[in-house]
Amino acid sequence: MKSSTLLFRSLAILILIAGSAHLVSYASINSESPKSNRKEDTNNTPVSETENSKTSTTSEIENKESINYSTDYIIGKWEVAYTSKDFKGVVIYNLKKEKGIFNAYTYQYENESGDIEQAKKSKVLIIEKFDGYKGAGKYLIDYEGKQYDVKCNIDMINENTFKLSYDYYGYSDVETWKKL
Amino acid sequence: MIEFLSKKLNWFEVEYWFYILNDLSLVYIILPFFVLELIRYAYLKRLTKNLILDSIANIITFGAFFVIEIILGLLAITKVYFWVYNNLSLPHLELNWITIITCVLLADLAYYWEHRMMHRIGIGWATHTVHHSSPHFNMSVAYRFGPLDAILPIIFSLPIVLLGYDPILVLLSEIFVQVFQTLLHTEIIGKLTKPVEYIFNTPSHHRVHHGSNKQYWDKNYAGIFIIWDRLLGTFEPEVEKVKYGISEPLHSNNPIKVFFHGLTRLYDKIKKTSGFKNKILVFVKPPGWEPK
Repeated sequence: MKSSTLLFRSLAILILIAGSAHLVSYASINSESPKSNRKEDTNNTPVSETENSKTSTTSEIENKESINYSTDYIIGKWEVAYTSKDFKGVVIYNLKKEKGIFNAYTYQYENESGDIEQAKKSKVLIIEKFDGYKGAGKYLIDYEGKQYDVKCNIDMINENTFKLSYDYYGYSDVETWKKL
Repeated sequence: MIEFLSKKLNWFEVEYWFYILNDLSLVYIILPFFVLELIRYAYLKRLTKNLILDSIANIITFGAFFVIEIILGLLAITKVYFWVYNNLSLPHLELNWITIITCVLLADLAYYWEHRMMHRIGIGWATHTVHHSSPHFNMSVAYRFGPLDAILPIIFSLPIVLLGYDPILVLLSEIFVQVFQTLLHTEIIGKLTKPVEYIFNTPSHHRVHHGSNKQYWDKNYAGIFIIWDRLLGTFEPEVEKVKYGISEPLHSNNPIKVFFHGLTRLYDKIKKTSGFKNKILVFVKPPGWEPK
């Protein structure tokens, strides 16, 4: 068989196979994107109008330009159960992707009696590195009126659970985040 | 159907299934099958000292290859593949069935071409001859590797990453192709049904690939799908009884000799070849090439 025939046949096979994957991927992203945008809009309760427009613009850019399917599955709401002296109950966090970084904001408190209170939407977690399995970043802890940036690690147990661990001058803890 | 094929999957599930198909296959199919082959050899009174030493040499060469593969593979995946994926590739494909199926198909096509190159260029054959040098044909032969066998797959799989496939998925697909290949190294299974033999690579097709009979040279390079050989002009059916091994037999079961014999033979050939240009050509020309 001539070398040119071999080359053209191989290229044709390559284009056919990879092309079909891109075609299906393009079609499925197009059919999903309006839905996901709507979902994002209803979930966001921003601090201010300016922040709202900024967040939604960022979110749109993120959705269109840098969807990474191996990491972006962590976007959404997560709940964490606490049994400290100050608070016993569940806190729900909203994890978003902003400019390529995952940030978690407080969303809702539910105490052990079942009373629900909407949270202030303060940023509590910045995941600076995440490869789909492990991550690292900063956990923003409020303690006695002061905010501390504590280095933390994230270990995915499965797609619906991760462990957030930190150690700050001997004060260490591991939180279990569960996806809602 | 399209909906099913495009349904988003999560990495944990995909990795789990590849773990079962790739990693665990050694336990639930390859080892039991090898034991069955040994029983068959014993029954046919072919379980010789030579066969046992050959099988041990095969496993030792795999150990050496594995160390090289791990170092090169890790470097390639973490440095080159991810850099290409993040900077040069087409839009990243989402993880769904169509992505996985097409990735396996492309990994198989890449395997076909790298395998063909291993046979058709001097440096490729210098390492791949190790795999073909056994005069036996059983599952342990699948683990008989040469020192540079890990290099060409890395180069030939890079275009798949360029096409937007996740490097980890590419790696898992490559391993899947290798695992499928392993199962073909057996004399126990004869010819399968015609549609299977037409589409898939089978033990019969792969026996031909390992044949030292002249008409079987450089044929049936496929990994999973024999259709690549049919489309690209290298298919040969199994007709004459296959004589395993290489045209210049090694006559040794010393694992070090087995592992390096291709490279030492290439070195000897380069030493004998006159002229700098010709010495370079020995690396890239087919194994039988001699300067005019």
